[in-house]
Amino acid sequence: MNIASARQSATGASIRISRLEKRFGAVSAVDGVDIDIAAGEFVALLGPSGSGKTTILMSVAGFEFPTSGTIHVDSEDLTYVPSNRRNLGMVFQNYTLFPHLSILDNVAFPLKMRGLRTAERHARAEAALATVRLAGYGHRRPNELSGGQQQRVALARAIVYQPRVLLMDEPLSALDKNLREDMQLEIKRLHAELGITVIFVTHDQSEALTMADRIAVLRDGKIQQIGPARQLYERPTNLFTAGFIGEMNFVDVAVQSVGDDISVALPWGETWRLPATAAVERLAAGEAAVLAVRPERLQLGAGSPGQVVTVTLSDIVYAGSALLLIGRLPDGTEMRARIPGASQLSSLAPGDVASFTIPTEAMLLYRGKR
Amino acid sequence: MKPPTDRGSLALGAYVYAVLAFIIVPLVIVIPMSFSQNDYLAFPPSGFTLKWYAEYFDSRQWRAATWLSVQVALLTALFASVIGTAATYAMIRGRSRLVTVFQILLIGPIIVPHIALAVGLYLFFQTIGLSGTIPGFVLAHTVLTLPFVVFTMAAALGKVDANLEAAAMSCGASRFQAFRLVTLPLVLPSLASSALFAFIISFDEPVVSFFLSGVRQKTLPRRMFEDIEQNLTPVIPAIATLLIVLSILILLGAHVLRSRSVTR
Amino acid sequence: MMEAGRSHFWHSDGRQLSGLSTLLLLLPFFAIIAFVFVYPILQLLVISVLEPHPTLDNYARVVENPVHMRVLMRTLWTATLVTALSVVLGFPVAYYMSRAKGTVAALVAVCVILPLWSSVLVRTAAWSFLFQRNGLINSALMALGLTSEPFKLLYTQSAVVIAMAHVLLPFMILPIYGALRSIPNDYGRAAAVLGATRLRTFLEVILPLSLPGVVSGSLLVFLTALGFFITPALLGSPQEMMISTLVSKQIREVLDWPFAAALVGVLTVFVTLLAIVFSKTLRFDRLMGNAS
Ligand SMILES: Nc1ncnc2c1ncn2[C@@H]1O[C@H](COP(=O)(O)OP(=O)(O)OP(=O)(O)O)[C@@H](O)[C@H]1O
Ligand SMILES: [Mg+2]
Repeated sequence: MNIASARQSATGASIRISRLEKRFGAVSAVDGVDIDIAAGEFVALLGPSGSGKTTILMSVAGFEFPTSGTIHVDSEDLTYVPSNRRNLGMVFQNYTLFPHLSILDNVAFPLKMRGLRTAERHARAEAALATVRLAGYGHRRPNELSGGQQQRVALARAIVYQPRVLLMDEPLSALDKNLREDMQLEIKRLHAELGITVIFVTHDQSEALTMADRIAVLRDGKIQQIGPARQLYERPTNLFTAGFIGEMNFVDVAVQSVGDDISVALPWGETWRLPATAAVERLAAGEAAVLAVRPERLQLGAGSPGQVVTVTLSDIVYAGSALLLIGRLPDGTEMRARIPGASQLSSLAPGDVASFTIPTEAMLLYRGKR
Repeated sequence: MKPPTDRGSLALGAYVYAVLAFIIVPLVIVIPMSFSQNDYLAFPPSGFTLKWYAEYFDSRQWRAATWLSVQVALLTALFASVIGTAATYAMIRGRSRLVTVFQILLIGPIIVPHIALAVGLYLFFQTIGLSGTIPGFVLAHTVLTLPFVVFTMAAALGKVDANLEAAAMSCGASRFQAFRLVTLPLVLPSLASSALFAFIISFDEPVVSFFLSGVRQKTLPRRMFEDIEQNLTPVIPAIATLLIVLSILILLGAHVLRSRSVTR
Repeated sequence: MMEAGRSHFWHSDGRQLSGLSTLLLLLPFFAIIAFVFVYPILQLLVISVLEPHPTLDNYARVVENPVHMRVLMRTLWTATLVTALSVVLGFPVAYYMSRAKGTVAALVAVCVILPLWSSVLVRTAAWSFLFQRNGLINSALMALGLTSEPFKLLYTQSAVVIAMAHVLLPFMILPIYGALRSIPNDYGRAAAVLGATRLRTFLEVILPLSLPGVVSGSLLVFLTALGFFITPALLGSPQEMMISTLVSKQIREVLDWPFAAALVGVLTVFVTLLAIVFSKTLRFDRLMGNAS
């Protein structure tokens, strides 16, 4: 009964993070971050270690006060409100179940803090445990549960008081791979069921791609790109994101002319004409640029309209659903191709020279060098 | 909007620094008093003189007491660190069902009140003629310092991979050579710092010394006790200052040894 | 058997020593502990029940004489006060120390550890300077106009309690610090984000989790305080004797060995029983000042 009411009342809140900055002495952990999150949205913060993900989350949770900038939840300024008055849910990396309390008391803890009476606390905690499929585990102690179960309890504890926002800092990184995938689904299901707004910190890109409505890619405290998974993958807006998300081949080129189309000189002497849409950033003639292509977009042999490259193969790796071909372009640049339907290609051997077609629409151009 | 000032943290900080002052001020206060010209110990100290230090160094009685304490502390440090290290090594590397007995006996000298041990030893040593002798003091202090040596050495030896010795032995070293050439160098800083601690515990030990001291053989703490009890002369702040400096030197030494240690 | 966590401390895999070498290496330790610790204490206990003839009279004299009972009660009460004062002074310091970083942490650690390695006599002497008629405390009180007459501070129970708490404070701080250090920071954060105020976070999470440290520290302080000799002897008054000063008097002035042995027996047995009851909580290896 309580979960039904939870579903109705606990719709998510919108979050606005504006010009957020946090310095620790000389270190700029977060450096001018703006993120607008819609009510009920699932946003992942993704970035290498030290990029400021945790610091942003801690500022939203109220454990760090920013050096400057503001945080609004549903247009209420929470920037300097103590964390216990923010009414947010949070799940930590290492479960953080209080070891001296039973599972039920752990889940009931936030309700106790809110002054609910024991009977109601326990009823609601039981119901929350049921939502994470741990009904009947309430009398146990945290150390009597597995890691995955503990994290589900932590999840129950974070939603039992129907917060409008759920914050998670690498909640799955302490779990092994299979459990992690189960928990990803569990969290997605809860998100859909409760309509809660989620900020999810991870350094696992596949986790971010599969779970989030939008992903914010961070580096050195700055947002590199923010958008839905598909956009990030198909058309990364800068070289960092292009290299950070998924696998990518890079070739250094020189821009010769920019007009209705763009002509670039390749290191082995050829000149290619590419459509103007290939340029992700503004290019000018005479500049250095980087040509980027995803390995799975390469086609073996001549095929759809595009450019043909010859690759001297060095490694052929059977990777289950696809065959990974690794080789070198004529100038020595490494090129990888993932070719599905591996079984037909058993005739290829290291040392062979193979030609690949790069479809025109698969090529992206960025300023700079790789 | 401004970040709120954190009154709770400020109050906690103020309280903590007040307690730290409570801890430190009584130690530090003796330093200015030791240079005071007043012949009786009044506050505030006035003037500057080294005469109390001179009085300490010129007094035969103080010198004798100090020399006795130095001898006892040096021998105690030697005994305790050798015996303690041997026992710890045996407990860590040996096969023995004596572990539990060892642990209980080890904790004994910490738990049992020193006054009890002091009285017991007073009686025992008088019957066998060890009362007021250097061997008597050394034996008693070795018992009191052994637990500290064992705790330090157990932490250090526990971190030395037993396979290192196995490797040395596979290269042809005997068990003793393996210990001397591989394990010992690795735990040497800890051994040295446990000896330092044994030295200072013995040097400052007041209770057992109080009962074991004879009319002539008095350790420094026993002499100080009498002086404080009877007339509290300004020599005491001078000696106290010297002892504090000694403690600081020993702690610094232990710190340096620890930062050098491979098995930290 | 000891708990698993403790016994692995004493064992490591790899090549073991032979039984004979083990025995030879342990021999000096067991010999010295047996002759210089176990024997003298046992001898006292034996004297206390066998002299002047096999009897419990010596113990009866402790319990039946109101003067001696008062000494026992005063000793218990003083140790209790010292323990309480040490908790009140020590817990916040341990808490602060467990959260501090860098220079501040080092400074606090030095302040806590330095006294541990400085002489009890030095510290007791310092308190007798402070408590004198014309010592720092009375001078300060008079300079501030809080009193016109110097207070009698020295040779009072307050003086003994304050100085003993000062001497024993590190034994309280270090175990609590150890317990607090093992509580991950995220626990406090989790409690806060779940809606707990700082006070409730402390009461509901931090305090229960640090309780083993508090118990351990309190026991150490209490047990040590019961047998304390130097500080009560120098700062207390003869009218307010504690058990150790009574023992000393029996031996050095009255020469009543059997009775002194019974007093020591009462003290030792009581302390040992308490230590056995709480043996799981007492962590002695924390006392080496390993605050880093
Ligand atoms: N309390 C602190 N004091 C000093 N520097 C800090 C503090 N917290 C974070 N930093 C620094 O701020 C930067 C960002 O740290 P943050 O923890 O936000 O990174 P992250 O993206 O969460 O990394 P990870 O993936 O390793 O968790 C790092 O350079 C870090 O060293
Ligand atoms: Mg992080």
